[in-house]
Formats: sequence, structure tokens, C-alpha cells
Amino acid sequence: MASEPRDRPSSAPEALRTVHRSFSEGGSEPAERRARERVGGSGGAKPPGVIFEEVSKFYGEVLGVNRVTLNIPPGITSLVGPNGSGKTTLMNLMTGLIHPDHGRILMRGISPRDPETLMRITGYATQYDTAPRWATGFTFITTGLLLFGYPRAEAEAKAWKALERLSLTEAANRKVAGYSKGMRQRVRLAQAIAHDPDVLVLDEPLNGLDPLVRAETIALFRTWASEGKHVILSSHVLQEVDLISDQVVLIANGMIIAEGTIRTVREEIQEHPSQYLVRCRDASGVASRLFSEDHITEIRLSEDRLGLLVMTRDREQFAQALGRIALNGHRIDAVVPADENVDALYEYLIGGE
Amino acid sequence: MAVYKRGYRRYAGPLTGRWTRFLVLPRYAWRRLYQQRLVLLLTMLAFLWPLLCAGFIYLTNHAELLQGLDREFREFIQVDGRFFSIFMYVQAGFAVFIAALAGPGLIAPDLANNALPLYFSRPLTRWNYALARLTVLVGMLSVVTWIPGLILFGLQVGLAGGSWFRANWTLGAGMVVGFFVWLLILSLVAMASSAYVKWRVVAGAVSLAFFFILSGVAAMIDNVLRVTWGHIIDPAWAVNQVWRALLGVTPTEGPSAGASAWALAALVLLLVLVIERKLRPVEIVT
Repeated sequence: MASEPRDRPSSAPEALRTVHRSFSEGGSEPAERRARERVGGSGGAKPPGVIFEEVSKFYGEVLGVNRVTLNIPPGITSLVGPNGSGKTTLMNLMTGLIHPDHGRILMRGISPRDPETLMRITGYATQYDTAPRWATGFTFITTGLLLFGYPRAEAEAKAWKALERLSLTEAANRKVAGYSKGMRQRVRLAQAIAHDPDVLVLDEPLNGLDPLVRAETIALFRTWASEGKHVILSSHVLQEVDLISDQVVLIANGMIIAEGTIRTVREEIQEHPSQYLVRCRDASGVASRLFSEDHITEIRLSEDRLGLLVMTRDREQFAQALGRIALNGHRIDAVVPADENVDALYEYLIGGE
Repeated sequence: MAVYKRGYRRYAGPLTGRWTRFLVLPRYAWRRLYQQRLVLLLTMLAFLWPLLCAGFIYLTNHAELLQGLDREFREFIQVDGRFFSIFMYVQAGFAVFIAALAGPGLIAPDLANNALPLYFSRPLTRWNYALARLTVLVGMLSVVTWIPGLILFGLQVGLAGGSWFRANWTLGAGMVVGFFVWLLILSLVAMASSAYVKWRVVAGAVSLAFFFILSGVAAMIDNVLRVTWGHIIDPAWAVNQVWRALLGVTPTEGPSAGASAWALAALVLLLVLVIERKLRPVEIVT
């Protein structure tokens, strides 16, 4: 990553930068207070978020992340960005492995500068095969738990439970060095969840998993998210991110480009017309009617003449227009957003850089 | 959006001590190190000299066995500071080789595996980690240094009686302190070479070379400049000078024990800084 001054303008197009809306808009009270209020606040049901307030991290002259402001709610959140964009730096900041030069971070109300407390609620799986060559899956996880201070019996019980959740019990007493890539990935996840953390920070957790285990792992993520945990992961596989994420954080050049649910982020992007796939019997007729609408910018007919790719600047007007067309007797079988996915967001917001 | 329901209960039982938790790491490391034949062989060889010394102590405490010997010689072979300084010098040599064998495997594999982020995403600080690795070496080297030294001291006390102990207890204390200074330096050198050189054989060679090269450079300075202070940069010489002071033995020509102690302290500080620079959870490439 190139060296850049702290306040350098973003290389993202100016208009796109408006997509990133700070979580703190509408109030200036400190994040910590807000976080504590969420813990013991009136409802008490919703756990506090993972909060970044104006966080910057530089490695000497090299930019890590710059002025990152985020409020990540519980659920599955994907960090998406090109190589060197700052995803791993964000994860290292969350886990207290590095500290910000500016700004502050709160992980469910706990500062990463308090590792003793933070690590009890945080599980981290790096992207590397970190298990020592001599360790079996069971000893690898047990050793980690002993470092948490669990008595041996408790550590072994927890290690076994974690191995069970990742379907690794049969291989538990084999050396990790002899595991397949997918098994090593799973043992990394197992060590991250073994101490029942509330926040899981997972760097490329789906790499190397076969489709079946991948589906099982995604199901696990969903289970953890349904328990109110934070599951924060990075991935290069955008289709997967699309499939599993409750929200996404798009990052490029150390700057947050967009955050939120995929739909809300997409709605913020005004520069690119929204794309819809429309399946209908009379595609030509529907297309000719749609063309009379001002907000339609482009229509492409599919080769089978049973579908349209429609681009519109106004989603609501498009919906109304389709309604009118349907009322006029044209049968509309399906309408599917074609660019309401991470792939499209990535292309619109980062791909051009 | 997630539905916030909790299906598990967090462990709320007692935890092990915060300050002793790092001992989890040495326990596994010792087991693996003693599985290496060369380490085991060298450790066993290192017990030969203490056995000979034990025999010597036995002889010196049994006057009837020394009846036929010359009176001056009988006075020469005493269990005193000189005896313990010779014992320490030999055992210190074994310790150098054991540290060179065992040390390289301590940090290098963790760096090669990128395992440090994993360690540090536990309630384990960098200093805990370094202390754990230091404990591995100090523990191993203790087995061949101050522990047999104290056994010899105890043997002498047992044979010579309480009066000998009252007159010479400083020998035991000085030996333990002196050994610990040496073990600290050896362990830090081994850790530093392990942190910077990922290939174990080379890291071991670097550990050994460190002492031999500094010794050579010190001798060169003394000879070329016709001075005696050059030895101050030779850790083995400096620690020997400190031992002599601790055991009440006449110092060798050169810098005083105080100056040698300061030089060793500076070396320890330098080694700690070198290790601290490398033991980071995130590799920072600028």
C-alpha cells in the first residue's frame, strides 16, 4: 500500500464517498457511554456493538486504516475489500493485536487495551495455519483454553465441544500438520469458538472448505449470529458474502467506502441505475411500455425473449410502472434485483479504483 | 436480522492464576525438547562433571583417604570458592551447547507459522510469551547448572557440618546468583537468534558464534590496542569475573567485577530490545 498523508482525499469518487454514513450521526456523545447504555439500558436485550470512532492506524509512513467510524451490530458482518485495503488491520485492531494511532475502539463496551477482559469475549481465527506441527487438534485447542485460565478438565471439555461443533472429533487426536486444508480451517474456527466468545473475528474463514463443510460452517455462523453474537469475517468470495451477511463493510485504501445492509448501501448509490431482471411472457411488449418511462435508462432483452434486464434511476417509479403494466394485462412472472449484491456494490464502489 | 436469544451459559467457575498461566507453554516445550536425542545426550553428559565433583567432595571430607598425599596438596584441594568457580565454568560450557541446541526451536516456528497473533489473542501479553519461552530454556539449563551445584553444596554441608555452612553459605548463594545471570544471557541470546533466524541449524550456529566471535573480538582489541578492558565485551569473560567476585576468588586481570556486571546488564537490555522488536503480533513491513 502506498504511503499517504493522513488527510489525503479519498481516491474513491467524491459522490461515492457520500455512501459512507457515520454511525454517530445525530449525536456526539462518546461511544463508550452509548455502549454502556446499550448494555444496561432500558431494553437491555440488544448487546452493544463493535464501535470504531475516527480510528486511524499507520505503520510508519504506510496507511493501515484512516478515520474509520463504524458501529457494527450483532449478526454476520463481512469486511469486503481488495488485498491491502485494511481488512486485516481492522481485525487486528478489534482484537487488540495493534492499537490505533488515533480514535478509539469499543468491543461490546470493552476497550481492546484491556486484553484480559477483551479476549474472554473475543475469538479470533487468523488466515494462517498457526497450529504447531507437533500439536493434535485436541491439544491445540486445549492449550489455547489453558492459556485462558480454564482448569484442565474444563479446558478439555470445552475443546471437545468445539471439535464436535466443527465435526472434527474423529480427527481430534491426529496431528494438525496431517490435516487437509479444510480440516485445518475448521480447527482454526474451533479454537476461536472454544471459549464461547461473543465476538468472533474470522479472517477468510471459508477458504479451503469443500461445499458441504462450507454450508455447515455458514449454518454455524447463522447459529452464532442468532445467539446475539458478532460474527465479523473477511472474505474475497463475494457470492458467499452476499449469501451469509447481515451487513457489509466495504473498505478500500484504508477507508470505509460503505457500510450497512446490502440493500441500504445499494440504495445510496445514485450514480448507477438500479438493475432488475424481469421475467415475463411478452418481454418485447413490456419493454416498449417501460421505455416510455423517464426513469428507465436502458433495457436489454434476453435471448429467449422471456426476460428483460431493466436499468432505472428510480426504483419506486419502476415498481409503480410495473404495476401499471401488469394491470394492463401483461403477465409479469418475476422481478429480481440484479445488482443488489456485494458483487455489484464492490464493482460500483471499489472496482473502478 | 439476528434474533437475540442465548442458548449457552458462559463458564463461571474458577480460573487458574493469571501470573502462572504462561507456564502452559513451557510444559509442552520441555516435553518436546527432551524427545530430541541430542539434547538428552548432552544433558546426560553434563552430569558427568558434577559426579566427579561429588567424588572430589567426598574425598576432601575423608582425611583418612588422603593420608599418603603431600600436605600442601591436601591444603590445595579444598572445597572453596575456587572449587565452585571451576565447577561453574565447566557446567556453563555445557549450558552454552544445550542452549544452542534447544533455543532455536522456541520462537522461530511460531514466527514461521504466523502463530503470534493466535497467542496474543489470548489473555497473554508479549512479555508473558517471552517469559514462557525464557522459562523453557532457563528450566532446561537449571537442570545442569545451579541444581547440581546446590546438590554439591548440600553434599559438602552434609559432610563438613554446620560450621562449614556458616562460614561458606555465600558460596551457595553466589553460585545460584551467578548461574542465573549466565542462564539469562544464554537464554536471551538463543531467543534472539531464534527470533531472527528461521532455520534452526543456522540459529543454533548463530547462538554459538555469538560467544566465540565476541571472545575473539575482545582478545583482538586487547592485543592490538595493548589494553585489558577489551574483555568487557566478552560475555563469558565478564560473567566469570562476576562469579569470581561472588565466590570470593581473586579476579583476573582486566575490568572489575562491577564494570563486568554493568556490561552484562547492558547486553541483557540490548537482547531484550532485539527480541521485543521481533515479538509483534503483526508483521509490520514499511
